[in-house]
Amino acid sequence: MKSFLSFLLLISFFGIYSNASATEDQCFVCHESIGGAEVELYKKDIHFKKGISCSGCHGGDSTSEDMETAMSKADGFIGVPKGANVSKVCTKCHSNAQIMIKQYNSALPWNQEALLAQSVHGNLSVSGKEQIVSCTTCHNTHGIVNVKDPSSPVYPVNLPKTCAKCHSDAKYMRTYNPALPVDQLDKYRTSKHGILNAKGDPKVAECTSCHGSHEIRSSKDVKSKVYAINLPKTCSTCHSNSNYMQGYNIPSDQFDKYSGSVHGKLLLEKNDFNAPACNDCHGNHSATPPGIESISKVCGTCHALNAELFSSSPHKKAFDQKRLPECETCHGDHAIITATDKLLGVQNGAVCKWCHGDKPESKAFQTAKFMRELRDSLVNEEENALLLINDAEQKGIEISDVKFKLRDAKQALFESRTMVHSFDQSKFSETIDKGLNVTTSVTQDMSNAIDDYYFRRWGLGVSSLIITILAMSLFFYIKRIEKS
Amino acid sequence: MNNSSSSQKQNNRRDFLKYLLTGGLLGFASAVIYPLIAYLKPPKQREVEVSSVKVGKLSEIEKNSGRIIRFGNKPVILVRTAAGDLRAFSATCTHLDCTVQFKSDQSILWCACHNGKYDLNGRNISGPPPRPLDSFRVVIQGEEVLISKNV
Amino acid sequence: MNIIKNLYNWIDERVKLEDLVNFLGKKYVPVHRNSVWYYFGGVSLFFFIIQVVTGILLLFYYKGSADLAFESIQFIMSKVQFGWLIRSIHSWAANLFILAAFIHMFSVYFEKSYRKPREITWVTGMLMFFLALGFGFSGYLLPWNELAFFATKVGTDIAGAVPLIGETLKIFLRGGEEVTGATLSRLFGFHVALLPGIFTALLTIHLLLVQRQGMSEPLRVEALKQSEKKTMPFFPNFLLRDLLLWLLILNVLAILAVFFPSELGRKADLFASAPAGIKPEWYFLFMFQTLKYIPAHLLIFEGEVVGILLFMVAGVLWLLVPFWDTKSSKGQQNRLINYLGLFAVIFIIVLTILGWIA
Repeated sequence: MKSFLSFLLLISFFGIYSNASATEDQCFVCHESIGGAEVELYKKDIHFKKGISCSGCHGGDSTSEDMETAMSKADGFIGVPKGANVSKVCTKCHSNAQIMIKQYNSALPWNQEALLAQSVHGNLSVSGKEQIVSCTTCHNTHGIVNVKDPSSPVYPVNLPKTCAKCHSDAKYMRTYNPALPVDQLDKYRTSKHGILNAKGDPKVAECTSCHGSHEIRSSKDVKSKVYAINLPKTCSTCHSNSNYMQGYNIPSDQFDKYSGSVHGKLLLEKNDFNAPACNDCHGNHSATPPGIESISKVCGTCHALNAELFSSSPHKKAFDQKRLPECETCHGDHAIITATDKLLGVQNGAVCKWCHGDKPESKAFQTAKFMRELRDSLVNEEENALLLINDAEQKGIEISDVKFKLRDAKQALFESRTMVHSFDQSKFSETIDKGLNVTTSVTQDMSNAIDDYYFRRWGLGVSSLIITILAMSLFFYIKRIEKS
Repeated sequence: MNNSSSSQKQNNRRDFLKYLLTGGLLGFASAVIYPLIAYLKPPKQREVEVSSVKVGKLSEIEKNSGRIIRFGNKPVILVRTAAGDLRAFSATCTHLDCTVQFKSDQSILWCACHNGKYDLNGRNISGPPPRPLDSFRVVIQGEEVLISKNV
Repeated sequence: MNIIKNLYNWIDERVKLEDLVNFLGKKYVPVHRNSVWYYFGGVSLFFFIIQVVTGILLLFYYKGSADLAFESIQFIMSKVQFGWLIRSIHSWAANLFILAAFIHMFSVYFEKSYRKPREITWVTGMLMFFLALGFGFSGYLLPWNELAFFATKVGTDIAGAVPLIGETLKIFLRGGEEVTGATLSRLFGFHVALLPGIFTALLTIHLLLVQRQGMSEPLRVEALKQSEKKTMPFFPNFLLRDLLLWLLILNVLAILAVFFPSELGRKADLFASAPAGIKPEWYFLFMFQTLKYIPAHLLIFEGEVVGILLFMVAGVLWLLVPFWDTKSSKGQQNRLINYLGLFAVIFIIVLTILGWIA
């Protein structure tokens, strides 16, 4: 009974309220009768539904039927807002927590204006009078609807097109950033994200997922979500969320693997920008996993020599035929760790063994074994030479010459790591031999020098003998003086 | 007779001792003086720190070429550009200490280890090098080309 | 032989060498069971001569600046022929010099040879001993290696704890707030110019006095009758024995230099953190160790300050011993002196060992 009563009360309240507002909004009543796109659009507008009159943005007195009074400039009528005033009209309420929460019970953040001001879009436009982007640029003017409404220009599926309005317009973009490409939308449409987005999936990444919405910053800005160091984290907000990724049939551990990889450690821990972030291998707007044949090209953008050697090696054809991803087969993908000598050879843990391990008489098996042995010998020789040099240095022997020489051995060690990818015995041993020649000559020099060092003791022996003879004769001489 | 022979013996012994003493003194003196003279003889490398190195005659350095020059313990690469300018940089790659070389076809300094590339101002333009190469000063004295530290 | 005689005559004719020879010939060294201690003065002198000679030689190649000091020593050790020998001898002789000076000082102390009329000899000797410690301290930094750098830091810090003048003294020694290249140039100056200058002046006085006054006899020998005293001519007997000993010492130095050449370590890095277990040279160890044992606060005073003050007072008392030990000067036994000396010897040995094994 009681609840029924309260229900009645509620209904009557709403009735009165909506009725009252309808009668009171004289702007809308009059303009509806005149007709016009604005009015039709505004009927769908979320602000209209919340009971905000035209005067909420345009000023004037919405209660007056008299046009003179209603649109009196003295009473604050501003007509169509221009320039910087456009956003001001919106922020009057949207940046005011009091109004947003108390009056409209809205959960929207009220810092959008501030974020926009700090973003690239908050810079002054070519006219110098307003920001490049105002609220209405993206959100529409009279037909503003909730972002979750598929008719909103900022609804995820619509958003790429909205951004592209400016960003794909080469003429327009030239006025702000001539160096910035204008093909992002085209690229995006080739990416996994873009394809699914085009199919109407609102969950996949669109522009704002990576760049942010109001707070978009230049990718060179350290606070940008796509700044190299921040990018892996940005991608991981979706890709590491296994619930979110459900239904896409891809793993969600890439970020964890990447963080522990040689690339991830370099970028995230040492902030080395030379190390690749997600986009360097997958592409940014056209993000998609590289194809099996193109992996070596992608890795090769940095690891150029390795890729070149691999592509001209017999492995290239074999890998393509067996549909093996090139670099990835041996080195892994997201979890790539520093390649060590352990990978090479035919012992346990060596990657060559995976394919060639069961045929010890095969040429491939022999080559792998040979290359590993050769490399080990150079590593050992270099270490020995260094030990000898240190020993000699402690003995005060001149070592700068040999240290200078030994640089070449070190270089050969580095080069041989790359040369492995030729999978060619003769090319590999050529590099190693360069280093071995150096270590041999250094070792020889050092042992000669150390022999010289021990020769000092001969010198000491001779002079000690002389001193002993002199001391003894002096001793007898003293004896004789004292006797007489 | 007895007396004279014993004094004779003593005399002999005395002479022998004198010879020994004189010989010992001379030997000792040479054992001390030899190291001293050797010590004072100017060593092959005159001074501790290398401040400049002579490279050779300007006319002997071809255009569009580069060569490695030993500067103390470090290699320095001297490049003569196609236009004839002389430039010198530390030849140690800033990535992993390999030695860079001049690539005349591309007009770059190139590191064979990991394909690091520097332009002819020493700036790292491609590959893993994290920083530019340190530059050295090239001084031309008459015909002679010298490389010295950039202070 | 004739040439030598002629040369002698030639000089004698002009400088009257005869007087000198007569003087030396009349000089006698007392012979008794403690005569062996007389040699240590000569040994110290020999080490000093070695230091001067090798030091001058090192100056030919050493460069006293922070960017080149370490490298120049490396240069001496590896590029200069026999450079390793010269430097190793300089370094070994430095340590043995201080050891010999310690022994010389204590033997003089226990025999109370400082008593009237040899007060000046004692005071000049003590001042030279302090200078020798200064030589050690300043020379230690010159290779500009890690160990030396931090030892100097700690050493000058301790000097900074001296009441009133400490801070000024520290800045004076360091040539600034911190140990830097300025400290190196400064200590280099002390080591090769200032200290040797003062030392030479003191040494001249010291040696002249020894020649003038002759060797001191222990109290109990002094009390003997003239006929019971045994002596030995200073020239040539004692001098030749001295030379013989010096010869043997030189050989020992050469052996040490060949088998234990002095190391260089790593170049000092002004911004590196101190390696563990920084210790001063062994002759400062007993003081360093004592300061460690003193609690941080003694009543209202800082422990370190109290320790430094105590050492300073002890040093001054030691320096002035001939003036307050009036008994010995009157030819009486003074057991207190023996006990004090014994305490000092044991204290130094025990704390040095403790510092060494710590």
